[in-house]
This record gives sequence, C-alpha cells and structure tokens, in this order.
Amino acid sequence: MCGIVGYIGDGDAVNILLESLRKLEYRGYDSAGMAIIDKEGKARIFKIEGEISELESIIPGISSHVGIGHTRWATHGRPTTQNAHPHCSGNISVVHNGIIENYQDLKSELISEGFVFISDTDTEVLAHLINKYYIDDLGLAVGTALGHVRGSYAIGVLSNEHPDELIAARKDSPLIIGLGKDENFIASDIPAILKYTKRIIYIDNLELISVKQGSIRVFDMEGNPVEKKEHIIEWDLEAAEKAGYPHFMLKEIHEQTRSIHETMTGRLHELEGDINFEELGLDLNEIRQFRRIEIIACGTSYNAGLLGKYLFKGLAGIHTDVDTGSEFRYSSPVLAPSTLVIAITQSGETADTLAAVREAESYGCMTLAITNVVGSTISRDASQTIYTRAGPEIGVAATKSFTSQLVVLYLLAIHFARARSIMDVNRARMLLSELRKIPGHVNHILEGAGTIHECALMFVKAKDYFFIGRNINYPVALEGALKLKEISYIHAEGYAAGELKHGPLALISKDVPVVAIAPHGHTYDKILSNIKEVKARDASVIAIVDCDDYCEIEKFADFVIPIPMTDEVLTPLLSSVVVQLLAYYTALELDCSIDKPRNLAKSVTVE
Amino acid sequence: MKAVILGAGEGLRCRPLTLTRSKVMLPVANKPILEHIISALFKCSIYDIILVVGYKKEQIMDYFRDGVDFGVNITYVEQKGQLGTAHAIKQVSSYMDDEFIVLNGDNIIEAGTISDILAGRSGDATILTVVREHTQGYGVVVHEKHRVMKIIEKTKEDLSHNVNTGIYIFNPGIFDYIEATSISETGEYAITDTIQQMIDDKKNIIMINSQAMWLDAVHYWDLLKANAYMLERFEQPVNDCIIEDGAVIRGKVSIGLDTVIHPGSFILGPVVIGKNCEIGPNAVVLPSTTIGNYSTIEPSALIKNSIIMHDVRVGAFSYISNSILGAHNSIGSHFITETGENLIIEMRGSLHKAAKFGTVIGDGNNIKHRVLTEPGKMISTGCSIASGVNVSRDIPRDSKVF
Repeated sequence: MCGIVGYIGDGDAVNILLESLRKLEYRGYDSAGMAIIDKEGKARIFKIEGEISELESIIPGISSHVGIGHTRWATHGRPTTQNAHPHCSGNISVVHNGIIENYQDLKSELISEGFVFISDTDTEVLAHLINKYYIDDLGLAVGTALGHVRGSYAIGVLSNEHPDELIAARKDSPLIIGLGKDENFIASDIPAILKYTKRIIYIDNLELISVKQGSIRVFDMEGNPVEKKEHIIEWDLEAAEKAGYPHFMLKEIHEQTRSIHETMTGRLHELEGDINFEELGLDLNEIRQFRRIEIIACGTSYNAGLLGKYLFKGLAGIHTDVDTGSEFRYSSPVLAPSTLVIAITQSGETADTLAAVREAESYGCMTLAITNVVGSTISRDASQTIYTRAGPEIGVAATKSFTSQLVVLYLLAIHFARARSIMDVNRARMLLSELRKIPGHVNHILEGAGTIHECALMFVKAKDYFFIGRNINYPVALEGALKLKEISYIHAEGYAAGELKHGPLALISKDVPVVAIAPHGHTYDKILSNIKEVKARDASVIAIVDCDDYCEIEKFADFVIPIPMTDEVLTPLLSSVVVQLLAYYTALELDCSIDKPRNLAKSVTVE
Repeated sequence: MKAVILGAGEGLRCRPLTLTRSKVMLPVANKPILEHIISALFKCSIYDIILVVGYKKEQIMDYFRDGVDFGVNITYVEQKGQLGTAHAIKQVSSYMDDEFIVLNGDNIIEAGTISDILAGRSGDATILTVVREHTQGYGVVVHEKHRVMKIIEKTKEDLSHNVNTGIYIFNPGIFDYIEATSISETGEYAITDTIQQMIDDKKNIIMINSQAMWLDAVHYWDLLKANAYMLERFEQPVNDCIIEDGAVIRGKVSIGLDTVIHPGSFILGPVVIGKNCEIGPNAVVLPSTTIGNYSTIEPSALIKNSIIMHDVRVGAFSYISNSILGAHNSIGSHFITETGENLIIEMRGSLHKAAKFGTVIGDGNNIKHRVLTEPGKMISTGCSIASGVNVSRDIPRDSKVF
C-alpha cells in the first residue's frame, strides 16, 4: 500500500506535502519522496529509504508552491532510495499508487526506443510513457500514456514546463481532490488534507484531473469534461481511524486474528511439515553449523526473545541465550562465528538493539533481524531479515507485533529443528496444523473478553500485581507484568513460578492478585503447588488455564480465565492475548491514557 | 443525493451467524452484503453515505473505514437501542437538507434497483416495490396506479403482490412525521407507520415497481440462494494464486492471493475462494460455493453449494453440501452434512420452512472427527463436539457435546 499527495497554491509546498504525507503514514512508511518546482522553475527531486522525518531532514529550505509526494510500505521486496517515488523522465515526475500489470512489455518497448531505466519499479514506465507522448499538453500526454496501461493506479504528475498545473488520474486505487482557497490538493485519502480543507471531490475510475491554483477540471479518458460535485467532510478523523474501537490498543488486540495469519502466509507448508522463509538466505548446511544462538531485544521484544530461547532449546536443541540490547554490549559478549545473533525489534530502529547488531557483526557473526518495518535501519544492518507482517501498530503498548514476533520464532525454531533433524516430520506437521488454528482460538478469547473485563474490574484497586508462569509461559508472565505497568501504571512483577519462594513470596499478602499462567503441560503440577503456596498467604489468584481443565484449579483460584486447548508449546500465543486484555481493561477502568502512556514512545531511537 | 443505510440491527433470524457479526457483514460471493449495496450506490453516482450502525459496529467500521477504498464518503451514526426503522432514520436528521435515499443494509441489490427509484421519484415520498408471488412475511403496498393507498407490515393474506423493499426516497419533511410517529404494538417506531400517517394526511406517496434485483435474506438459509445468484453475476479478479500440477479448474472460478490448490483437486465454477487458503490435494469444490480467506480444505473433502467463511478448517474426507459454516471453525475428518428438503426449522419459538438445506454452524467451534449433522440442525458458536457425534438437535452456544 502506498500514499500519494500533491499541492498547488500560495502556501509552503514542502511543509504542506510533508504534513500530508505524515497523515498517510498508516499507508506505509518505508520510503518516501517528493518532487517540487523551485522559484527558478527547476524541478527538485528528493527521495529516501526511510520515514517521512528522514525525508524532511534531507530537504533544504526551498520555497516552492507546487509539488507531489509519496510514501510507501513494501510488503515484498526491498525498498531502496532508487525505487522510491517520484520517478522521472525528462521534465516529467510521477508518483503512483497501484500496480501496472503490463509494465514488462511496456518497459522492453520503451528500452528499444532508447529510454533508460534506473529503477526496478513499474512506475518508471509511466514516467517514460508520459514523456514519450508529451508535445505541449501535459494532460493529453498523461491520458494517452494511460491508454496503454493495464492495471491499477492513482497518480500525480508534475512537469517543470507547467509549473502552474498538476495532473492526476485514477483507476482502482483511491484518489481525492481537496479544494482550498486559492490552493488545491490531491491525496490518496482524506486524512492527508483534512488539516487544510474540508471540501473534497471524489474521483471516479478512469478520470483525469487538471489541478491548477484556482481551478479544477475533470475529464474522462476520451477528454470529455465531467461534472463533479463537491462534498463537505464532517467526521471526526481519529474516531474513523479507530474504526469504532475506543482505543488503538483494543483495535490492534482484535486484529491479531488476522495478523497472525498474515505472519504465517506462504511460509508454512503444512502438508510437507516444512517452513519456507522466502527472504531467509540461510541454507540447511549453514543452519546445521550454528553452535549457539544469542537473542538481543528490548522491552516487549525481549519477552518474545525469551520465549525464543525456550523454543530453540526445546524444539531445535540449540543452546540459546537472551540479552537486552543495552546490557549485551557492555557485558563482554563472547561471540564466535558459529554463533547466530537474532535481533528482535518491532520498529527496526531501536537504538540499543541496533548497536548490539553492529557489535555482533564486528565479531563476524551471522545476524538475523526480526522486525515489522520493511526497509528499517536494522534490515540494512543485519545480514538477514525476517518480517513479522503485523501491519502498522499505533498503540504504544505492543500487542499484535508481539504475537507476530512469537509466530516468527515458532516458525524459525521448527525450521531449525527440521534442518538439524531434531524434530520428525509428524511432530512438525502437527505443530503447523495447530499453529494454523491459533487465530481461531484467539478469536474465541476475544469473544469471551467480557470475563476478562470482569476480572480486571474485580482487582482494579490493587496496588501490586504478580504474574507467574513456568517454562514456556514464563515469558508471558513477564509480558503480562510489562503491559500492566506500561498502560495502567500499576506496579507489577513477572516471575518464574518456582522463583517465588526465593524471595518475592515475602511480598505476597492479602489484596495482591497473582496471575498464574497454568495451561496443561509437563510443568502443570509444579505450578499448581506454586498456586497453593500463594493461596496459603491469602493472595487472590487469577488462573489462566485450558478450558478443559476447569474443575481442579477452580478450588484454588479466585478467578479462572479459560483459553482454548492447543499444543502445550503453543499456549503462550493464547495466554499473551489474555494478559493483553487484562492490562487493557484495568487501564480502561483506571481511566489511563491507553494509546499514549506517560513517558513512553513507540520507537525508542535513543540509547 | 445522500444515502442512508440502516445497519444497526441484530439480525435475529440469522442466528447463529449474527451472534458474532452484524447481518450486513454476512458474506455473499465473499463480500459483505453491505459492500454489494455500497458498490450499487457508487455505480449510481451516490457517494455520500450515512451508515446507521449499532450492533457489532466495529467490524463494519473496520472494514469500510471512511469509504475511500470503495470510492465513497461514509459517515457513521450510532443508533443506541433497537427502536425501529423510524428511530434509525431520525438519527441522521442533522445531516439532511435535501431529498435522500434510504436502504436496508441487509438486502442484496444491484445498481439497476437504485436507478429505478431515482428515475421514478416524485411526490412527498417514493417507495420501491418488487412483485413477488408469495408475499407472506413481507410488508406489502396497496396502490392505485402509482399512488400508495395503504402500507401493510408483514402480511398474512394476499392483499397485494407488491412487496415493500424498504428502499425509500424522502425529503427532510419526513423528520417532522417521524417525531409524531407513535410506538407500535411491537415496541418499535416503524417507518411504515410514519408513511401511513402521511397517506392519512393526504400526502402524495408514490410507488415505483422495479424488475431489478432485490433479495432479502430473511433467514440464514436464504443466503445460499443469494450466494448462488451473485456468483453467477459477479466477475471477480483472479489473483496471484498457486495452482499445482494436476489440479483442474473449470468454469467461472475466482481464487485469491497466495492461495494454493494442491494436485488432484477439482474446482467447478461458479466458485469464489479467498486469499491464503489451502485446498486439497484431491479436494472437490462444486457450484455454487464460496470459501473465505485463510481457510484449509483438507485432502479428499467435497464441498458443494455452500458458504464457508474465513479461517475454517475442513477435515479430510468431509462432505459438505447446502450448508453455511461461520468463521474460525476447526472441523475434523469425515464430517458430513445431510441435506433435507421442505424442512421445518424451529427458531426462537416459531416454525419456519426451508426448501432445501443442510446445516448452519456459527463461529469458533471445535468439531472432532466423524461428526454428522442431520438436516436443518445447527451448531451455534464456541461449541466443542466430540468424535462420532450425531447432531440430531440444535446445539446451543458454548456447549460441549460428548
């Protein structure tokens, strides 16, 4: 998905375009660019692989009154500065959202006519085509060029021979025109220009628009003028983006039924019991060579990494350590070329994790990044990158990006286990088939969220919370405590259940809720006795258990939250969703700022 | 012209499918019913849409967002409490300063349906009707020439063959009449009562009869007919899917992105399959079937004339016909649906007739191996059914059947 914008008027084009692009960042932010015409009538092109803020940093103070801009979110393939829009040919610059299906044919035709291509994009074909048909009327050239094109597009076209005009056109990709006072806008979506105007014209398929400072003219593809009606936008922008949910966090928790599927798409071959990471350039031999794995991450990603440790050890039999980015570098890391370093960061920009990756590279280690943002810094720094494909996450508290990280780690661990012949094909097929059922189970938990809300309400007055879990659910205990701290400001601690008696048990008293993550499995009896331990100290116990296992634990627990039955190894994917909802509803009852908790930022780019 | 689409209702007669979603989001040819309506409006150049939402509104808003991906501008208005159609229309009064069109969000229509009423509108209000042989259970319109004389809710006798589609064109004058509408015996403010009041006041209410498509999926079993009807008519793109050697695809078949069709599978259109699915090996999908995104059809399963929603797993050697399966279901091997004809189905205390139907299954059920459903029996949502069970009665929500 991409976003395009355009501006013509008396205002400061550069700033207006940047501001509009920022509003389209939900459509993508892995590379961005803009073309403007400066005071001398010269076209100036700026583009960069990175976010809008990075684009801003490379644009010198230029006064301009006309320009087009683009922001991109690649789902496959690497975004590079070269591939970023606008694309140019002669005096023509083009930004484009959509796919030109017959670009290969057009490209070879254009090359034979002497046009030189510098990018791999389909959009560059458009730029050359328009240039080819240009005589003196830009609109006519765009219309003729589009006549040769199959596919979808919303485009903005600028030429320094026509500094008083922007051309736009649409087919099967969204496009609107914004009408200002002595200024006009084009954009992929309304939020981009809502700051400047509420007067909108919706563009239909196969329409071409000539946008000038004082006028808008719309034509069909034969060049006949089309009458358009103006619309006034009345809705509340933020409410629309949240799609009826009171918070982004709740929306993103609900999106997990979809995002987990997206993470698995095309990577999981259930029939063969096999995993295929298209982007992973490690062959089976290389995987067999690793003697040790070192996982580096911060915050929520660290908790995912800790689960990774249990998986790589338990499923693939590789010794694995986990460290936080900020500690790793200053703890005299012992690294050998046979160590695989895995770095996990949602944004791909976490400064501590980035520094650790560079450190590891300097030891000659193979580094593998797991990130959500295509083209982020870490994907350039690490030797290998796997994307979590959770989609843009806006709430500061990580939810869907966490479960997607877990899914990548499961797939990776199973892949390694198969490559090293530690896991047989039947076990792998069983796990993969259960993995595919996880989104359904998550949906089941979401349907029963009312119970979790009741639970949150019951303990909302608590000053301290404990989360305990064993083995594979210990990282979830940490994550549960972290989520609660982050958004509800309640002091919470996550502990390995067996560690309680080595200290923290002293803090357990009446009024302290203890969340015990206790699905069935080989440590079930152990955690049951841990629950009895805290119960004996009068604590309130909230037990997260398999739904088939009610009766036994109900005797000791004050509140039982059931999760659907799945393979023991996969239970963290389900218990995570429960602790997310528990934190959410607690914060909701306490009236906290859920999407933007105090003192915290989504992407931590300082060390 | 602005359009108002009423989509706040709970869709009680489509339980269990509507336990977890609004009726307007029920899929027909793999698109929500509401999307078919919005694209019909778009084709008639009506871009300003006010959507009255209520029950399960988040799904609707998440899917359609501000409408820009559908070429329209959607404003959402929440109707709190299910107090009838007049109450729903009242919610939008502040948005209307000109004549506007009103539609139900759960009827399936095409562009021609809307252009008929647009072309014929006149008087103080316009009602679109369609002729049906059997009008039982529908509202009907008694008329003299084009003038509506009487509007009757859910008739039992054959007073008229002109069924009220619930598609109206009003002008803002309607809001005064809505204010004056009193609550009906069923505890609702019905727009038909409002219109009857206008008729009684000698206002000029016009009836336009349309031959274009108008399907009212009253009960869930009507969805199959609507689905089959739409599959015949809708061209949908075939995306980048993987069809492995030895799979045979014939007729009008649309397959979504990244879906894999394994060897030996046979798919006969009209069929729509969503994205990221796995079909086969040796699976057979026959007309008129819709399969949602992220679903898995295991080896040697046969599916015909059915709607399977997203994220469903159908076990190996299953046989599914004339049935509707909700989302997030996991079904073991050898699952069989029996089809019956002229079924009497009990629903909320009253009996209804279905011409031909298998079974309906809500969302998020875990069904083990070798389960058989008897004709017309349903499984609600969140149930778990053990291996070998014969489903011979309706299974209520969150049950465990051993």
